[in-house]
Amino acid sequence: MTSVARSLPFPTEVIVGDKLSISIGPQHPGSGHFRIIVVLEGDIVSEAIPDPGYVHRGAEKMCEFRNFVQNVPMLERTTLPDANGIIFPYILAVEELMGIQAPPRAQYLRIISAELNRIVSHLYWLGIYGVFLGHSTMFLWPMGDRELFMDLIQTVGGTRVTPSYIIPGGARNDLPDNFKDKALKAFGYFERRLKEYDRIFFSNPLVLKRSQGVGVLKRSEAIALGITGPNLRGSGLKSDTRKDEPYSMYETLDFDIPSYPDGDCWARGMVRFHELYWSMQIIKQAVEKMPSGPFRSRLPLLTARAPAGEAVARTEAARGCMSYYVVSDGTSKPYRVRVSVPSFRNMIGIPYLLKGGHLADVPAIYWSLDYWPVEADK
Amino acid sequence: MSTSLTGEQGLADAVKAAFGDKVVGIKSKSKRVKITVDKDILPDVARFIRDNLDFDHLISVDGTDYPKDNTIELIYHITSIEKEEQRKYILSLATKLPRDSPVSPSLIQVWPAAEYHERETFEMLGVTFTGHPKLEKLLLPDDWLDIPPLRKEFRLPGR
Amino acid sequence: MSEPTDFEEFLKRVVTIVFWILLIVPIIVLPLLFFGSEILQALQLLVNANSIFILINKAQNPFLAFELMDSLGQGPCIATATYQPSAGCNPTFFRIVIFPGFTFVALLTLWLGWFERKLAAKVHMRYGPLYAGRISGVLQPIADILKLLGKELIIPAKADKPFFIAVPLLTMGISAALLTLIPLSERVYVVPPASASLGLLVLFAVLGFYPIIILMGAWASSNKFSFIGGLRALHQLVSYEIPWFLAVLGVVVLTSSLDPFQIVRAQSKIWFIVPQFIAAFVFLTATLAELERIPFDLPEADTEIVFGWLTEYGGMFWGILFGLSPFIKLYVFSGLFTILFLGGWLGPAFLPPEIWFILKTFVVITVIMFSRVFNPRIRIDLLIRVGWVYLILLAVINLFIAVGLKAFGVL
Repeated sequence: MTSVARSLPFPTEVIVGDKLSISIGPQHPGSGHFRIIVVLEGDIVSEAIPDPGYVHRGAEKMCEFRNFVQNVPMLERTTLPDANGIIFPYILAVEELMGIQAPPRAQYLRIISAELNRIVSHLYWLGIYGVFLGHSTMFLWPMGDRELFMDLIQTVGGTRVTPSYIIPGGARNDLPDNFKDKALKAFGYFERRLKEYDRIFFSNPLVLKRSQGVGVLKRSEAIALGITGPNLRGSGLKSDTRKDEPYSMYETLDFDIPSYPDGDCWARGMVRFHELYWSMQIIKQAVEKMPSGPFRSRLPLLTARAPAGEAVARTEAARGCMSYYVVSDGTSKPYRVRVSVPSFRNMIGIPYLLKGGHLADVPAIYWSLDYWPVEADK
Repeated sequence: MSTSLTGEQGLADAVKAAFGDKVVGIKSKSKRVKITVDKDILPDVARFIRDNLDFDHLISVDGTDYPKDNTIELIYHITSIEKEEQRKYILSLATKLPRDSPVSPSLIQVWPAAEYHERETFEMLGVTFTGHPKLEKLLLPDDWLDIPPLRKEFRLPGR
Repeated sequence: MSEPTDFEEFLKRVVTIVFWILLIVPIIVLPLLFFGSEILQALQLLVNANSIFILINKAQNPFLAFELMDSLGQGPCIATATYQPSAGCNPTFFRIVIFPGFTFVALLTLWLGWFERKLAAKVHMRYGPLYAGRISGVLQPIADILKLLGKELIIPAKADKPFFIAVPLLTMGISAALLTLIPLSERVYVVPPASASLGLLVLFAVLGFYPIIILMGAWASSNKFSFIGGLRALHQLVSYEIPWFLAVLGVVVLTSSLDPFQIVRAQSKIWFIVPQFIAAFVFLTATLAELERIPFDLPEADTEIVFGWLTEYGGMFWGILFGLSPFIKLYVFSGLFTILFLGGWLGPAFLPPEIWFILKTFVVITVIMFSRVFNPRIRIDLLIRVGWVYLILLAVINLFIAVGLKAFGVL
């Protein structure tokens, strides 16, 4: 597909001077649907050029041809491990445009589903991070424990990966009665497992050697580059949309924002590792505080019209601040939907952090940013 | 240096006070401020917003095509990270470009994060950013010969 | 799926029969054909309550064995026929090819592959091989080998074909040559005690070929990832062979011998792992690096350089380079550790010495395998620093201890 017309310095000869350029991806065990052109000088990366677009589907354009509600299942397919988190701000923006208010119970239901998806997404990240560092056990343990939370998502929304659970006006269905027992049982087990994760992986001296001091993103650089999410918090900033601009009912819940000042791969990993714990605490509190009442205000019509106007909404998805800019021209279809995904914002960190590092650090740095090619390409 | 700000109106007033009539329009609602300026003073306003109002964190750059008005609206969404009390605001810095030759100064010097966002806007809407070091295709295929896909006259096949 | 027709049933039976013939012929029929009289003699000896293995004491040149092993890539029977025209009854050949030589070790390593998969699966909290062979998938390795044999051998268009093909064969030959130098006991060996006086030296010399062969394969593949992997392997092997030799040197000083038999005999009082524990640690670490196992699997680091110097090898080439040869090397190095530090085949008399040797080797293999599930991959600069600084320092300290022990006559 990729023609040679592109002016990227893709190598035609193997060695140019002292430099060797290799293409990591899109057919590579350590890349995903993404390519990084890495120019090596010895073992040191002298230049790294990201090349996204292999899974670009034009979600923004497709939005303009579908109704507001039809866009929900379409947009969540950009990031299946974090489907609820990725669709949340779209719903907020559409509700703002339509002037709908979701009932309080629905707000808590949204929190529960979004946090469950955050855990699932972080566990997926942890498994891949483990195998990117060559740690086979850390690949299979999180992937196995992830099933617990996939089951919980299934209990809440009915399906495992494409829930379309959060809809304009509330949630799609109420929580089943057995959710609380099931969730508490899973959380009790998983909190014990977190200690084992720490012992086998995050405290492993070789993992520390591989991740500490690698890919250091300074606080000021993180702000200037627009890095978001756990990567920003790994650089010592306590910034999280759930605290900065509380949406839904997050202001009623008591939770902490983990933050590490180091800015290296290890710090970014530890932030996500602690978020696993805090997400469980949030779900526990949400289940307790959830009032009884309706779980959605009214069934949104497929042809529901939104008055002309525009809205910007953002939430904290698993990979960072997810924001939507929705423009309506008074019809039942959005005039323009801008999907601003955290992966796309974090992509600028890849060439920046890889430069000057070792070739062996490429997978560690790349995946410590939790870059999800499908999400970034939209 | 920064002025005393009281909410969305304070932000809007600060920009208005600094640039006066060159600010075309200001809209504000809860936690959101949208400032529309002329494209000539876009870098100056951006610098002012970053340095004096501490809006240092770029969320996204996006454009909307309005064939009726023959304009493309280019918007930078910015928020603040260093100033904790300002983190809840999203400031939208907008400018209107003519649809025939949309050229705008690149804000990559102000917010380095704009690099890939501007490249995406370039290929999706055909907006040219002067001063951008590498304005090339990013997401679209290299052999894309059609019009920029987010222009309104680009129709999806079958729709 | 439709009901199996008669023809399918017939095909299945034919395949099953061919499979069993293929399995039984090399293991039972061929030895009987070649060594019928020998085995009868051995059985007689067994009846006479003598050892099965005291057959011939004539000294053999160990280098003869290498030559023979080197041509084994072409197939054992042809090699014998050409090398020993009058062979009808050749115990050296039996030792090299069947027991304790190649076939024994090949079957053992096949099973070791299964064992490692089961072991890792237990730690990973999954099942591992489960179906082939009904009992926990014990026949999985054989199924894998059959699958690999059926695959096409793809040689890249730009590859340097003769070298590309030579690398798997040479690797196999070197692995097999190494295992001839590991005796199982005083009576079960490939290279007899009388000619093993320089055994360790020969082993090091043979091992020295290995980096060259890897670089040859990496260069012949004409692939950038292969090339980087080959360079990594070269750096790694060179930086770990020196501490490895120095660790062995401590034992050599204590025993004043390079003969594995002598070294084991010298441990009748105390195993060398007690006075030479630093050497044992250095040896084990360097062994992990030599075997390219996690945490030292940089030459094959899949998320960084696809599959390192093995990227372009597929089918049975891959089976040899990544399946058979590393496991034979694993057996050789574990056996060497047992000989050098764990007293070899010495042990209480209720078990035969060969069983003791295999048991100890098995323990060492398990320890080496366990490092895989706990550790991530190390980086090349850390690896070289560990090899050239820390391990050499430790090995030199250990050498001083050994010399001191020897000088003051403690051991």
